[in-house]
Amino acid sequence: MSHVTKINLTDTRPSHWPERLIKALLLASSLVAVLVTVGIVFSLLFEAVRFFKIIPIQAFLFGLEWNPQTAIRADQIGAKGEFGAVPLITGTLLISTIAMFVATPLGLASSIYLAEYAGPRTRAIVKPLLELLAGIPTVVYGFFAALMIAPLIRLTGTSLGLEVASESALAAGLAMGVMIVPLISSLSDDAINAVPQSLRDASYGLGATQAETIKKVVLPAALPGIAGGLLLATSTAIGETMIVVMAAGLAANITANPLEAVTTITVQIVTLLTGDQEFDSAKTLSAFALGLLLFTLTLLLNIAAQKIVNHYRERYD
Amino acid sequence: MTDHFTKMTPELKRRLRNEQWFQWMGRGAIFVAIAFLLVMVSTIASMGVGALRQTHIELSVFLDPQKLDATRLHDADYGRLIKKALRSRFANVTKRRDKRKLYNLVSSQAEYTLRDLVVRSPSLRGQTINIWFTASDDVDMLIKGNIASSTDETQRRIDHREASWINDLISKGQLESRFNSRFFWSGDSREPELAGILSAFVGSLFSLLVCFGLSFPLGIFAAIYLEEFAPKNRWSAFIEVNINNLAAVPSIVFGLLGLAVFLNAFGLPRSSPLVGGMVLALMTLPTIIIASRAALRAVPPSIREAALGIGASPIQTVFHHVAPLALPGMLTGAIVGMARALGETAPLLMIGMVAFVADVPNSIFEPATALPVQIFLWADSPERAFLEKTSAAIIVLLCFLIVMNLAAILLRRKFEQRY
Amino acid sequence: MLKMTSSFMALALGAGLFITSATMASARDRIRIVGSSTVFPFATTVAERFGKSTKFKTPIVESTGSGGGLKLFCAGSGDQHPDIANASRRIKQSEINRCAKNGITDTIEVKIGYDGIVLANSRRSKPLDLTLKDLFLALAKNVPDGKGKTKPNPYKSWRDVNPALPDIKIEIMGPPPTSGTRDAFVELAMEGGCEAFPWIKSMKKTDQKSHKALCHTIRSDGAFVEAGENDNLIVQKLQANPTAFGIFGFSYLDQNIDKIQGSTINNIEPGFENISDGSYPVSRSLYFYVKKSRIGKVPGVKEYMAAFTSDKAWGPEGYLSDKGLIPMSDTERKDWAAKVKNLEKLTM
Repeated sequence: MSHVTKINLTDTRPSHWPERLIKALLLASSLVAVLVTVGIVFSLLFEAVRFFKIIPIQAFLFGLEWNPQTAIRADQIGAKGEFGAVPLITGTLLISTIAMFVATPLGLASSIYLAEYAGPRTRAIVKPLLELLAGIPTVVYGFFAALMIAPLIRLTGTSLGLEVASESALAAGLAMGVMIVPLISSLSDDAINAVPQSLRDASYGLGATQAETIKKVVLPAALPGIAGGLLLATSTAIGETMIVVMAAGLAANITANPLEAVTTITVQIVTLLTGDQEFDSAKTLSAFALGLLLFTLTLLLNIAAQKIVNHYRERYD
Repeated sequence: MTDHFTKMTPELKRRLRNEQWFQWMGRGAIFVAIAFLLVMVSTIASMGVGALRQTHIELSVFLDPQKLDATRLHDADYGRLIKKALRSRFANVTKRRDKRKLYNLVSSQAEYTLRDLVVRSPSLRGQTINIWFTASDDVDMLIKGNIASSTDETQRRIDHREASWINDLISKGQLESRFNSRFFWSGDSREPELAGILSAFVGSLFSLLVCFGLSFPLGIFAAIYLEEFAPKNRWSAFIEVNINNLAAVPSIVFGLLGLAVFLNAFGLPRSSPLVGGMVLALMTLPTIIIASRAALRAVPPSIREAALGIGASPIQTVFHHVAPLALPGMLTGAIVGMARALGETAPLLMIGMVAFVADVPNSIFEPATALPVQIFLWADSPERAFLEKTSAAIIVLLCFLIVMNLAAILLRRKFEQRY
Repeated sequence: MLKMTSSFMALALGAGLFITSATMASARDRIRIVGSSTVFPFATTVAERFGKSTKFKTPIVESTGSGGGLKLFCAGSGDQHPDIANASRRIKQSEINRCAKNGITDTIEVKIGYDGIVLANSRRSKPLDLTLKDLFLALAKNVPDGKGKTKPNPYKSWRDVNPALPDIKIEIMGPPPTSGTRDAFVELAMEGGCEAFPWIKSMKKTDQKSHKALCHTIRSDGAFVEAGENDNLIVQKLQANPTAFGIFGFSYLDQNIDKIQGSTINNIEPGFENISDGSYPVSRSLYFYVKKSRIGKVPGVKEYMAAFTSDKAWGPEGYLSDKGLIPMSDTERKDWAAKVKNLEKLTM
């Protein structure tokens, strides 16, 4: 971050009331962002607390069965439903992990190439194309994953003698991985470009090749920035909705096998709020508890990412 | 001495090979990512291109004056006239079951085409006229080769008899494939052959307008405050952290907020572009703030110093000198944020924008869907013909997005200033 | 320069106006319909034709699921609440109570026809001839062990269930617990098959709770895959996977009859006539519910009801049957049409 000396416009002269009014307006605008956060936290908490009155919080967080079936008819006994979020968390993590396994090498390698090797013409062509990849709506990835990738994986899998679920975690994870590539690529691009040229020059001076310089000098120097970017990408993967709604299943399995079907937190929120609902039942309220869980998870990742990135920035500023 | 330079040691060879290999890895990664993009877009485009054509069938209809009450032309039973026209065109069809199949050649809503024509020119009453009707989706799929002909005849949606009628129509030049302008100019329909994207498109446009109207002023004001006026204290740092976090909150959470606050607490109209736009605005706000701050930072301090030096107040300095210079950058950020909002589906599902909306909405208060939601809805419909509509709608959405991004790039180029 | 300031101010003002105007509720000029995703295609078809053939605006139909729809429907009688709720099951007493609590006591019930639930697979394989008992044994979490007790479902292949069936791995894709289709399937097919065992049937009277638990719980060991409400994607997936079966509404089978086929159940083929006359065992009734008080307040409510219950729409030759709705018998239709005409209130 090349910095210009900042002039503080805080003024000591007495000002007109319209000026004070405008200033207040500006302050109010910046507070809207805080208001939104407060709104999110409160609306989620409010409904989630009602949910935890029915289902104890530890049963939600540590329960191993997710089966939100509440009585559809009044006389339907024996189907109270189980609200253990563990299968959803593991499912979310499985798909995000697959996505990160796809996106990290692709994103990192392409950003290194673009930042260190590619000429300005290549950059001018490739960068917008990668940005286009990021700009494609996720509903399109979902459509493509469900219609093309999933059958393809199944076909390959069965011809190899493997058992592949029709809605395998792999299909959703692959599509999500490609979606995240540009995010990782642009964040690591920033981190790599922020490494001072003097470090590279020193390495070349010692006789290292460009690849060696990148591997031994540039990447370690950019590592905190890259790590922050990877955390942000993970948070995006966890919160992604449409790809998993269309391509991943609803089967709440606890598994690490990418060829099996799993479900995610976001899929369940959508299913619970657009499917058959009961009023004020644990089922509908559980969507908000899941929302709170999702919000907390991503928030922690984001804060961690920002901490790392800020720490790193101070080193080279 | 020269030997040292010309002869490479095995060690050096290995290192240079590694260098090559490393570069190819980078190229490979870029290739894989872009190849995926191309395969995805071209697959969807090839599936969607069929939606640009629509099969039409020509029939000669006798506008029987006895069936058409001149005073109540709007309410007459035009379906019967079309059925009669089909029966006289294929006079050898007598069985009840076959007749039903025969009626299924033209779109089930062809009667409204005929009605509109007659109501517009009542003088046609009593004449026999030749009209092109939209064919049903089954006929359309057959013409486009989307019905497998290998399966057993009784189990297909079009059997040999129907195929022979269609062949007969083709041989007499009474069946044509035309450009499907209806896809662009009409709203959603349950009949795939009549479904269009206009209502979803307008819904998206309205939502974006609301989104822009709210998030742009709020975003730039917040950015101006944080960049130019905020004292450096913990409170400002808190707001900043807050905005950065908000930028990474999953979009579906904004949908939950909209459901709990805008719909349940405020009672705003469900599934309206108003609420959709408000939710999208909250989502884009951080993007705009961050981009606007970057744009403000890029304005050199000399501008501020000069303005202050000739006696402008801080507010005047910012609004007369700094902000106008940063405006193109802010707008670019806003357009990028809008493009993201345009493709967003998940939060809209939460606030009831998954509705069947046939009429094109006239205001932001009327129920509407948005383009990505329409795609989601069509992907869900049982009729096979919706598959190509879904793909075509995706292509339209992508074009819309590309246009917005191009606008952002051009804006950036045009106003890019070097200080 | 002044222009800049004023345009900034105008923008801010514009935003302010937006928020204030948003709070002004406008009177509704069109019907709002919510509810079941099964009735959704039929309701939208009627709505679309209604909009085209009358002077009224096209009603807005939203697919929220039966329970979700009735929840919105019963929330109040004002303009912001829907006028009509579609349901793929009958309204529950608890929902009627909820409605009454919010001042809605004038609900009109309209039955519109039937929907069959089918078990279908790709045409590239053979269809199965099943009984309800086979279905139960293939899908239940616990099955009878032959000694009057139960054991976790051990069956992996259809042949394990019934020696007459082929040796194909049991793999069934079906709706999630959130769906009304699942509920109907469990009640009609699973419970029906469950009662093929006399001791379970007798348990219904003595120990209702464990009877339900046994008959209504679907296995979760991977043989049954919850595949979402997006039934169209299930059809695509069945084609990709010839040994798998899918559970969905009859209209989806009807639309894709060249690619998939329905299995017979108790020797009855899932077809139009068999579902209409009730011989196909896995079928359910479809309804919609109307608030009488909205007639006259929202233009077109009465006319919409009339359009839906006309023979042109719901009759055996009507356009809804083209969409996969299975019509009621002539007498039943006549009965319900009369009820609608007299705006008869719902009685349980």
